[in-house]
Amino acid sequence: MNEARVKKALLALGICFMLAFCLSPFVWMIVVSFGRNPDFLSGGVEFAATLGNYVDILTIKSLHFLEYLRNSLAVSGVVAVACAMVAALGAYAVSRIEFRGRMVLSLAVLAFSMFPQISLIGYLYKFMRSFGLINTYLALVFPYIAWTIPLGFWIMLSYMLRIPKAFDDAARADGAGRFMIFRKIILPVAAPGMFSAILLVFIAAFNEFLFALMLTTDQSARTIPVGIALFEGLHGEIPWGYIMAASTVASIPLVILAVAFQRYVIQDVTRGAIKG
Amino acid sequence: MRKPVTFTRNRKEGRTAFLFVLPLVTVIVLFIVIPVLGTFWTGLFRDVTYLPTKFAYFSNYRRLLTDSDFWRSFRFTMLFVATAIPLEMALGMVFALILNERLRMRNALRATVLIPWAVPTIVAARTWELIYNYGYGLANYLIALLGLSDAPVNWLGSPVGAFFALILADVWKTTPFVAIILLAGLQTIPEEIYEQARVDGTNFLQRFFKITLPMLKPVIAVALIFRSIDTIRILDLIYVVTDGGPGGSTTSLSLYGYKYFNEGDFGYGSAIAVVVFVIAFLLSVSYLKVGGFGRAME
Repeated sequence: MNEARVKKALLALGICFMLAFCLSPFVWMIVVSFGRNPDFLSGGVEFAATLGNYVDILTIKSLHFLEYLRNSLAVSGVVAVACAMVAALGAYAVSRIEFRGRMVLSLAVLAFSMFPQISLIGYLYKFMRSFGLINTYLALVFPYIAWTIPLGFWIMLSYMLRIPKAFDDAARADGAGRFMIFRKIILPVAAPGMFSAILLVFIAAFNEFLFALMLTTDQSARTIPVGIALFEGLHGEIPWGYIMAASTVASIPLVILAVAFQRYVIQDVTRGAIKG
Repeated sequence: MRKPVTFTRNRKEGRTAFLFVLPLVTVIVLFIVIPVLGTFWTGLFRDVTYLPTKFAYFSNYRRLLTDSDFWRSFRFTMLFVATAIPLEMALGMVFALILNERLRMRNALRATVLIPWAVPTIVAARTWELIYNYGYGLANYLIALLGLSDAPVNWLGSPVGAFFALILADVWKTTPFVAIILLAGLQTIPEEIYEQARVDGTNFLQRFFKITLPMLKPVIAVALIFRSIDTIRILDLIYVVTDGGPGGSTTSLSLYGYKYFNEGDFGYGSAIAVVVFVIAFLLSVSYLKVGGFGRAME
């Protein structure tokens, strides 16, 4: 039949387009990061491979790249673990304890994930300033936890709803309290959910821009996205080699995480958006 | 239909539940609910650096009505959503259909599609900024290579060029998310329906329009609204690629509000932020209705 052949051709075409579309900017970023001269496409200039951009961003102190990286890893790491923990506690209660308002609470948490960041940042800035927290990790950690809670909560909830309540019943018959059951039984069973929540929240926090832009002022708390956005040369020119090298260093860990754990990502990104 | 309740509802259980949700509720109230209310409140004040703060009723909102820059950023944001979302949805659908095929390299393809999703937005923005570079960007190189234009295009130098440059960069970054969501929808359609249709002698286009599309409708609606809410508040991509230019023509509502915050005008900035909030909130309400979330819990 002819249809099978047409479909096969279309599929091959589609795959080629998809790969070119998704990969070319990423590959371009990496190529420029290894080039001595970002203008090698402008005719007359040869591409010269070098590790110089990487050596420079890692060793020139005034670029502060390592400090931005350290800040990003510290803030995102703390936020990911704390958020998953808080979300797991909440999801445990909502999934297994009959209390008034559990439905409203879940829907409200979901609604909060849709609040635009711009509608929080003005007040957050004044709040952090009044406590002298501008340009500290704390100024980022708390807003980030709140901002990523919906993601973590819905992931944990979908995992916990699938754990049979018989687990709880058996333990309660043996006299175990709620918190004991949570810690000793449910949390270990829901470990893949915890892992997934930590992974996705880490990626979200690592990417965050507007809060970090307003709430930090220099390398003592500034994160990688803000550092990369504000990267400027000493003489006003844009140091593309440095920026692409910094971008590559910032992206590779996330890309590796996403690709290595694509099953979790595909499953739980969807859960956050489509109910349970 | 409510499932049989395992534990009887009693006061002690309620107290336990309260303790479990306390950290979650506390952090959300302190760092989301109160800041949003604070923004509404601040929007009613003249709150500018170096001037005494004073209650100003609705004067910030009156100023919005006659602020042509505000309306320009309003129109830009709406036009951006109306252009980017259909493109994302169409492309995301194509990707999802490909990823749903039984191919040997399926996992590798899925991994590839995740790359734009995993790359930080700011990194994507910087990369696209370089792609659009007039003298040595990849875009002008490809255009010369394919012979599409004699002279290089100044992508970010004209309002129209900058608009579509931003659209392409945004579509690149967000299409994977749409594809993942639609893929999840595709996987819920039972294979037998397609088998039956095949027996009935339909071709794959007919099957797409008669089976796939109608059955995906709820998932498409969810993805559509979810992406709209996200795009209405766009800021970071634009901040890097055009910073709202040229001549302010690509300033989104969020970026416009940010610029006032950055200058220390918290009153007017908050009024702009309230507008973004209200639009996103109305979309969220329809999202919760379309998504049928309440049912997930039963």
